[in-house]
Amino acid sequence: MRRFELLLPQSVDECVRTLAQQGPETKLLAGGTDLLPQLKNGLLKPARVIDLSGVAQLRAIESANGQGLRIGSAVTARTLELDRTVQGRYLSLAESGALVGSVQVRNLATLGGNLCNAAPSADMAPPLLALDAEAIIVGPKGERRVPVATFFTGVRKTVLAPDELLVELALPATGPNSGGNYLRHTPRRELDIAVVGVASQLTLANGVCAKARIALAAVAPVPLRATGAERALEGQRVTPELIARAADLALEVARPISDQRGSADFRRHLVRVLTRRTLTTALARASA
Amino acid sequence: MSSVMKTTRDVKGIGLSIVRPDAPDKVTGVVQYVADLSPRGLLHAKLLRSPYAHARILKIDVSKARALPGVRAVLTAADIPELKKKAPTRAHAVLAIDRVVFAGQPVAAVAADEPAIAEEALDLIDVQYEVLAVSADPLEAMKPGAPPVADAGTEADTSEAQAHGSVAGVATEAKPAKAVNISQQARLQRGDVAKALAESDVVIEKTYRVPMVHQGYLEPHAVLAQWDTAGNLTLWSSTQGSFNTRSEVADVLEISENRIKVIPMECGGGFGGKIRALCEPITAILARVTARPVRYVMTRREELEAGMPAPQVIIRLKTGVKRDGTLMAIEGEAILESGAFSGAVLAVSGVFLASLYRWPNFDVKGFEVLTHKPSIAAYRAPVAPQTIFAIDSHMEQIARAIGADPVEFRLRHLQREGDKMANGQPWLNNGAVEVLTRIAEHPLWMKRAEWKASSKGGKLRGTGLSLGGWLGGLQPTGATVRLNPDGTLQVLTGQVDIAGTNIALAQIAATAYGVDIDKVKITTGDTDVAPMTGLSAGSKTTYTVGVAVMQAAQNARNQTLEIAAKELEASVHDLEIDGGKVVVRGVPNKGITLAQIGKKGNLYMSKVEPVLGISHPAFSVQAPAFCAQLAKIEIDPDTGELTLHDFVVVQDVGKAINPLAIEGQMQGGAVQSLGMALTEALMYDDKARLTNPSLLDYRKLTSADVPKIETIIVEKPAPHGPFGARGVGEPPIVPAPAAIANAVEDATGVRLTELPLSPERIALAIANGK
Ligand SMILES: Cc1cc2nc3c(=O)[nH]c(=O)nc-3n(C[C@H](O)[C@H](O)[C@H](O)COP(=O)(O)OP(=O)(O)OC[C@H]3O[C@@H](n4cnc5c(N)ncnc54)[C@H](O)[C@@H]3O)c2cc1C
Repeated sequence: MRRFELLLPQSVDECVRTLAQQGPETKLLAGGTDLLPQLKNGLLKPARVIDLSGVAQLRAIESANGQGLRIGSAVTARTLELDRTVQGRYLSLAESGALVGSVQVRNLATLGGNLCNAAPSADMAPPLLALDAEAIIVGPKGERRVPVATFFTGVRKTVLAPDELLVELALPATGPNSGGNYLRHTPRRELDIAVVGVASQLTLANGVCAKARIALAAVAPVPLRATGAERALEGQRVTPELIARAADLALEVARPISDQRGSADFRRHLVRVLTRRTLTTALARASA
Repeated sequence: MSSVMKTTRDVKGIGLSIVRPDAPDKVTGVVQYVADLSPRGLLHAKLLRSPYAHARILKIDVSKARALPGVRAVLTAADIPELKKKAPTRAHAVLAIDRVVFAGQPVAAVAADEPAIAEEALDLIDVQYEVLAVSADPLEAMKPGAPPVADAGTEADTSEAQAHGSVAGVATEAKPAKAVNISQQARLQRGDVAKALAESDVVIEKTYRVPMVHQGYLEPHAVLAQWDTAGNLTLWSSTQGSFNTRSEVADVLEISENRIKVIPMECGGGFGGKIRALCEPITAILARVTARPVRYVMTRREELEAGMPAPQVIIRLKTGVKRDGTLMAIEGEAILESGAFSGAVLAVSGVFLASLYRWPNFDVKGFEVLTHKPSIAAYRAPVAPQTIFAIDSHMEQIARAIGADPVEFRLRHLQREGDKMANGQPWLNNGAVEVLTRIAEHPLWMKRAEWKASSKGGKLRGTGLSLGGWLGGLQPTGATVRLNPDGTLQVLTGQVDIAGTNIALAQIAATAYGVDIDKVKITTGDTDVAPMTGLSAGSKTTYTVGVAVMQAAQNARNQTLEIAAKELEASVHDLEIDGGKVVVRGVPNKGITLAQIGKKGNLYMSKVEPVLGISHPAFSVQAPAFCAQLAKIEIDPDTGELTLHDFVVVQDVGKAINPLAIEGQMQGGAVQSLGMALTEALMYDDKARLTNPSLLDYRKLTSADVPKIETIIVEKPAPHGPFGARGVGEPPIVPAPAAIANAVEDATGVRLTELPLSPERIALAIANGK
């Protein structure tokens, strides 16, 4: 690893100010589980690193007027995995947190780091897409909100400007008859990266599907929603046949590549399998 | 080397399960590895590695790097007078001279005050390359006209085969003149294969592939080098054989061996990957140039990109049998991809393919092929897992095709002691039949039909087994056993303990001498003080060094009894050692303690010789060792995910010196074998660049993937082993790939012939109805 200067701001304001002063050769560090390997392999050679561990606000989880939930960007995967509120209302997010790395990695890995690193395979992204979450971003010009569905702009690219900080994720309330599920496939049981990940969220009203969300990871440069499949479900009674059709439709948006983790063929195959399985589980949870 | 030892009393020695005494220090971090050493004035080395698999080096400019404060040396090949073209081994190819032949090959070296400064210096070195066409695929590389790897006129390197001392007498063939990348070639033939195949009822032809895999030792390659002003070099090295390291470094640096002291440090795993010198020469040269101690520790990425993995092996088999199961003929071709330098163990493959089972007619060819990838080395039973994957998968398919019981079919045709191997030598005493018979009696095998029938929830269940082994290595060695003034024993060898062998050797000394194990201390000495010894490889440490220690302890015992006989005025034949005392049989109160004898050997003006038992044997008889493994699995046909429910290892160990340590070897070997079977592969793109250079994508199994591994020890004494022991390290890495492939076919009806048997391969094969 090359030498760099380490900065330790204590608040969001100080952090944004520091970012603005330091200029482009500066990287933010949350848990470091993506950044440090990149520094060690020489992929990044920043002159300065801003460690976010002193900014307590980024680690908070708050219920917004008893409705939705605001999750600080530096909340760890382990916290999401174990948090009762997240488990209770946003189970797919807790499930995705529980799949990241190993316990040691999860104790460091943060939600914000997962999103800002912007790997197509990021596990915590699809549940946020399926939950209609918004990213709350702070920069020198103040705060702005961006739907997580449009947060990603490419492989390792997001809407964040170099002087902006992801502060929180705002999750709307899910309502009583809503259920979700996140599944991914990895060749190894633990410590592996998704070949494909799928999050589904179904909300029922009067026995029909009022709202459907399906989000896919690792089948395109960015995590994305399978809107065609969602539309096929909405307004319908959800049957195994409909789920199978939705799983086929989910393929329409997938543009997978072949790489060291899996071939495009296998990824397409998995989109079908995992969409079917997550919708089946989401339906059961929504009906429960 | 009679295995029958007369001890006068049962002592706590061989046969006891003893926890390795070094274990607590290892798990608590007390033990020092090379990376923990930091002598005064230490410099840190880093290597600039080629991003291209094949390129001409047009120009290297190191001036900016040399100017960086804190940098003490920047070297290229031009700065090292010993370097010559046509390097026969990786050790000799210290830095690329004018051409790089694999991605990751070192091109320049830096020594600096801090690792970070050394890395920054690498960024400042400017290398201009002319990128050349690559040979990335061994089948293409074999063809005339393929981009050449070695410099014209480079000799093939067969020292690895000799180091492993496993197969002799395989004739090597002259290679076709234009196939520049075929570095070794051999052929084993008997009978008339074409005629026998024509007369066969069932002919099966398949091609099996096993990719390059990495040994995956926890500790990467590491070395610390320091010279004294008189020109003597000391190397603290993580090596599997300090004397071998000394010879190789002496050869590369062109200095005499007695000017080099290799101190073998605790070795955090080697599995064959730390036999050959890899980073010792360049570190020594940096230390010489800077006149400072220099340490080099490879990163994990460097290990994966530029270590010395196992070869890719491609085996085509064509067999013919009669409907009644009579074996007719086998025709085979084994292609071993050796990377940029020669050094594969070609013959092992031929012997297992042609003569593990009694084929009356065979024609098996072997090719070592060079490609623009990192050169390979041994990996625990080199080429045996890959070869057994092919031949055992094939035997299973033949048995299925003719409707024979797979175990009975194998047993019927399995070699027996005295049968001729393909190279003309007889099969030696071994337990292949015993382990296969034993595993077939296991309840999981007996109840395999019930397990298959119990499949539910869309999952598919199956069971498979396989038999594999290792021929056993040999190498001269030596040991001394001293009696201390307090009556304890001190054993000295030069043997690196990478597998818990020191405790086994101490147990052997205890039993052979006649004291309890707690009275024995064993030390691995450096190359200046220890008796010369071989590699810790080839499953031969206990088998050979065990004999040296046993004989040295017997020798020390005889010396002790002779001294006691004089002191007690008794005949040696009436003496025995009991409870730390030499006593006259039948005269309980007439005796002398071992401490008294030990003291006499170290007293001022004493006329009694100190007890020093010595043995330095050489060997000629190997001890093949076999292992059978069984896998009980469940497959999710949609995702291809395979769950291992149970795994059983049955192994013939001759005599279990330390059963606990042996079970550890059986389980550890099985886990590596399962990794090869299920998830591991070094993956290269068409430019021969590694696409998975991290442990996240180079998937070793984790504890979450592996079930409890049941171990069953079989003891069929090896006639020449110490107390009947035979090698245990390598056999357990051999059978799992075939056992899993056989289980997958049992569960799904699909036969897979390419490793790893990944979820993708399984799911897509099922989906495509293969
Ligand atoms: C062994 C291992 C296993 C892994 N397994 C998984 C897995 O199963 N699934 C998975 O999805 N990932 C996995 N990862 C990747 C990684 O752990 C996750 O992406 C993790 O969530 C990253 O969070 P972090 O806090 O460590 O990010 P960091 O490494 O600290 O940061 C990542 C990037 O985000 C930027 N950043 C961080 N916080 C902010 C912020 N608030 N505002 C703006 N930019 C910011 C950083 O500058 C950096 O570019 C694994 C990594 C390792 C090493």
